[in-house]
Amino acid sequence: MKADVLVIGGGIQGCATAFHLARRGVSVIVVEKDYAGRHASGVNAGGVRLLGRDMAEVPLSKMSMEMWQSLDEELGHETGFRRQALINIAVNEVDLDTLRAREDKMRAAGYTHERIIDRTELIGRLPHVNPECVGGVISELDGYAIPYKATAAFRRAAETLGAQVIEGEEVLGLRRIGNTWLAQGRKQRYEAETVVNCAGAWADRIALMIGDNVPLSHAAPMLMITARMPHFAKPVVGAVSRQLSFKQFENGTVLIGGGAKGFADRANDRTRLDYSKLAAACRTAAEFFPIMRKASINRMWAGLEAYMPDNLPVIGPAVNAARAFHAFGFSAHGFQMGPVVGQVMADLVTGGQSRFDLSPLRIDRFDRKVL
Amino acid sequence: MQAFDCAIVGAGPAGMSAAIVLARAGVQVAVLDRAPRAGGQVFRSAANSPVPDVAALGSDYSSGAALISRFEESGAAHFAGADAWHLGDDGRILFSHEGDTRELRCREMLLCPGAMERPMPIPGWTKPGVMTAGAAQVMLKSDAVVAEGAVFAGSGPLLYLIVAQYLRLGVPVAALVDTTPRRHYFDAAPQMFRALGHIRQLSKGLSLLREIRASGVAVHQFAERLEVIGGNKAEGVRFVATGKHHEIAADTVFLHHGVQPNLNMTRAMDLDHHWNPEQMCWQVSVDDFGQSSIAHVSVAGDSAGIVGADGAQAAGRLVALNILNRLGHLSQVERDQKADKDLSYLSSLKPFRRFIDCLYHPTDALRLPRDPETLVCRCEEQSLDDLRKGFEQGARDPNALKSLTRCGMGPCQGRQCGHVVAGLLAKWRGENPETVGYYRLRSPQRLLTLDELSRYGAVQAEAAE
Repeated sequence: MKADVLVIGGGIQGCATAFHLARRGVSVIVVEKDYAGRHASGVNAGGVRLLGRDMAEVPLSKMSMEMWQSLDEELGHETGFRRQALINIAVNEVDLDTLRAREDKMRAAGYTHERIIDRTELIGRLPHVNPECVGGVISELDGYAIPYKATAAFRRAAETLGAQVIEGEEVLGLRRIGNTWLAQGRKQRYEAETVVNCAGAWADRIALMIGDNVPLSHAAPMLMITARMPHFAKPVVGAVSRQLSFKQFENGTVLIGGGAKGFADRANDRTRLDYSKLAAACRTAAEFFPIMRKASINRMWAGLEAYMPDNLPVIGPAVNAARAFHAFGFSAHGFQMGPVVGQVMADLVTGGQSRFDLSPLRIDRFDRKVL
Repeated sequence: MQAFDCAIVGAGPAGMSAAIVLARAGVQVAVLDRAPRAGGQVFRSAANSPVPDVAALGSDYSSGAALISRFEESGAAHFAGADAWHLGDDGRILFSHEGDTRELRCREMLLCPGAMERPMPIPGWTKPGVMTAGAAQVMLKSDAVVAEGAVFAGSGPLLYLIVAQYLRLGVPVAALVDTTPRRHYFDAAPQMFRALGHIRQLSKGLSLLREIRASGVAVHQFAERLEVIGGNKAEGVRFVATGKHHEIAADTVFLHHGVQPNLNMTRAMDLDHHWNPEQMCWQVSVDDFGQSSIAHVSVAGDSAGIVGADGAQAAGRLVALNILNRLGHLSQVERDQKADKDLSYLSSLKPFRRFIDCLYHPTDALRLPRDPETLVCRCEEQSLDDLRKGFEQGARDPNALKSLTRCGMGPCQGRQCGHVVAGLLAKWRGENPETVGYYRLRSPQRLLTLDELSRYGAVQAEAAE
């Protein structure tokens, strides 16, 4: 099969890239070794979060947040996006000091989307919170979406515009001959002028085929979801210095995350859970929200996610090959960035540059470090 | 932390039989079962039946009492009321016991979760007042509770058994609506001759039907287009039989069209499974001694392929012999010598099984929903139409469909709708169910309170001391 661009990986980054390329009339094939949205893009916590982003990501994340607000209309399919304030809770003065230092930095850079709240406002917004908490920080622009739905929405919109998504197709080899990339898949061969590596937890393998080394690791962040409960928390909740993250969906189920990691068995596309860490996450949730003691856990799972040493993604051109680009390594916070990453990758592929400063995200940023 | 040579999950005929063999050989064996007394589904409360006239339940049921007492005297550590919610391939079992999570470790693990009834998603199957024949059995055996004037609809030995039990106890039955198609009798006829070796089972089945007919209860054979009628609750059934439309009023409708292996544990452990075309269901892949794709995990009884209570006892004994060999208590030669009788018994059951599978082969009409509004997933209220739309949106895999529609995401975690969804996708894709696959199941095996799990860390600390 031939196309202008071969996107490797059918997660949200790959599908969004295909959508933006197809919209510009570029022919695209997406190959996905399992099914689109099978791994991190389909099973994550669904957080659409701008709050607390690394300074290097803030401009991209802000743009993406704007895109999420009208994404359903743009794609013509539901992503399940709901705008909902996100609050990170402070438990003591030390947390508040952390928040104040962050605020100074953000104000200096001209950002105003994060706002510190006091205990009264915290309790006003989260009446069931443990009253010992002292305040927090809020971002009103944040929200959540349904991960698989959002990924599928990009995929379907891309397909409507002519992109082809081939599922169950693993790329086994990649070579550049003249001005063409030749990809050998398990099922068939592909030819394209450009490749885009959106292979998530497997992206280091694709990078290697392209010619770039990258210190990517992978892990299995765990999540739990409860059976439906009476509504008790509208905002999405996190904590400044504790492993706490949860949100109550419209249907009443409560998703509990917090970053505890299970065991990632990448070779077998599998994860295992670490129940003692999940137990700790339950204790934290109940400590912050005593009402959670009454919850019943319905499902626990983990996804395979790619991590970079600095927890920042790789977004940009390959350094050791022409007409190859990377977008991976989002380190458990890439879902929100999907919309903007699709646009950035389409900009890079079609025009060679992006209006964002991608230098902190380049793939060789660890190469020059001498240990 | 408690460490055992072998842990058995499920104290039905397979689990009890295995435990007896293992305990007698001096092996440290733990048996976990969520019920207060051993017995499993088939011998539920057989040792302490609340039914005054227990003989009415049949001699097979009463025979369970003897097995239960042999098990209780065997010396196996029986954890009654122990609800296993995580089974790890590292030999770790997490279970709820008296409101707390407890953990045990074992060298060998034997899963005996038994069978579950095939879902029967006919129109109206989710109305209040509709239950399964298995539920009727549970109510009768555990609490001596019956529903008067009920309609029993579907097919298969378990359905006829509960009707016969009701009649013996003098409980009025509105009708037996038998959906076994006429052609199945022709298809099964050649198998019957091969099954004659099991004349006892055959005649037992026939005598049940004779007994039902002799009682004067209305029996409608060859029923088609079965549906439950009513508004907010069941008011009866409607069907076509031998060219005529029938409607029978009843407050309670018991549905049944056979059982299939309970996959919850074997799937959550990611053991290899294969599609069984005779029984139209997935089952775990095991060898003659019940050993699965993970060497130290074995499966016995109906969960490894429907064999019935007698077959399950034989399978349990065989698995135990193999485990004794693996633990170094028996040589392979000794294992094979001792296994001979049960192996030939199980193999002699096969023609009978084939006959039953052929006669009561699940029909698509009962196995898969036909009306767009019929619910497939009761927990998340997803109808056939919702699933079809999800499929048309590109969700071709059971897990993709689950992610898109929430079908299978509710409290039962797809344990009820799994086979229906896999069947529908196979039909829509025009592919073999084996290609379509099945849900990825995850622990916990059932709803677990956050409060209980939050105390799990304490179990760990205690164990480390």
